[in-house]
Amino acid sequence: MMMRKSANTILLLVAVAFCYGLQVSKPRYGDLIGPIPARGKLGDTVVGRGFEVHAEKIEFARKLTVDQYGQSKVLTTGGVWAVVTVEFAARAQSTVVSVASWRGPTGLTYDQTERLSFMNGLLPVALDPGLPRKARLIFELRPDEVSNATLLVSEKLVAALDSQAEISLGPVTVAADGLPAGTVDMLDMAQPL
Amino acid sequence: MTAEVLDQERRVGERKWRRRSLWSLVLLIPLALGVEAYDSVKALLGDNDLFARRVAWGQSTHFGGSDWKLTDLRGAFGMSNLPPDSVPVLADFQVKVGDPDLQHLWLGCKVMLIDKDGRRWSPTSIVSLKTTDKVETCVSAIFSGAKSGDTLNLRETFLVPKEATKSIRPAVSVAGERPRFLLFQLEKD
Repeated sequence: MMMRKSANTILLLVAVAFCYGLQVSKPRYGDLIGPIPARGKLGDTVVGRGFEVHAEKIEFARKLTVDQYGQSKVLTTGGVWAVVTVEFAARAQSTVVSVASWRGPTGLTYDQTERLSFMNGLLPVALDPGLPRKARLIFELRPDEVSNATLLVSEKLVAALDSQAEISLGPVTVAADGLPAGTVDMLDMAQPL
Repeated sequence: MTAEVLDQERRVGERKWRRRSLWSLVLLIPLALGVEAYDSVKALLGDNDLFARRVAWGQSTHFGGSDWKLTDLRGAFGMSNLPPDSVPVLADFQVKVGDPDLQHLWLGCKVMLIDKDGRRWSPTSIVSLKTTDKVETCVSAIFSGAKSGDTLNLRETFLVPKEATKSIRPAVSVAGERPRFLLFQLEKD
């Protein structure tokens, strides 16, 4: 009788532990229906369901010059500008890639800047099968969010159950002035891609 | 009758019902799944273009309440400022409106080009060719207020790689007909 009682107690404890384990390891709803990552590095071609993206290079700058209605305009920043040149391709059907963000090493996530929204070659880009297109993704960042960052690209803002390209951009050395090494003073966004 | 016999009879009856219940699950579980999934399946089918209905060159077909006919498919070669190896392609349709409720029947109207590998091109906004003809796009036609018996001239512009121009065929799909869509054949087919 005593034996049976203790066996039952042990069984109950095991069941409690098991249920607790299930509870803590349970994925959240947001994870279950969230974007499906397609991972790669700078220079790789990352293949998602509807599009492919190839990040060619990253440039850092203190200022950007842009052409607005025929006038040259200089955009300054308290942080640093990061300009990623990418090539997009549609897969089986025409699509539009509209969202890109920069996730820093601490998890801070920066959306594309909207300060250049009038410029050509920014997202959203319409893609047709067989006709790859280059685009610029421009971010305004804190200098300490530059190294070991991840570039996130998806077709729609809510990429639920759809591909999201996750491109790791690797380490970036920091120069004496706190900005990434190789930061130029001025980048001309009017240059063709 | 003794209590023992009664008891045994009851047990047999119980066993029979238990078996019937178990067997009914074979029917009930798929039925429940079907009922649950019905709306999702309907939405999925209504959102995709799955079954092509081929239309021979020069033929007119009743689709989405109106009669559709492909009148022309041609490339606009020699344009500058385009991506390398790309060609703008124009697809022209003549539609004789039957049911004028276009805002329901033509909802989500899609005109596309499909090549031999199944790749699909949607109309482009990169190229816009000016025209003196009175042409509309599928979407603008929905709001054109066309009446029954009117004839609409629709034109869509696409941007297609040169290598695909040989095998592309125009296709049309509207909400009232999905998952079926029209796949127009060319003169050479």
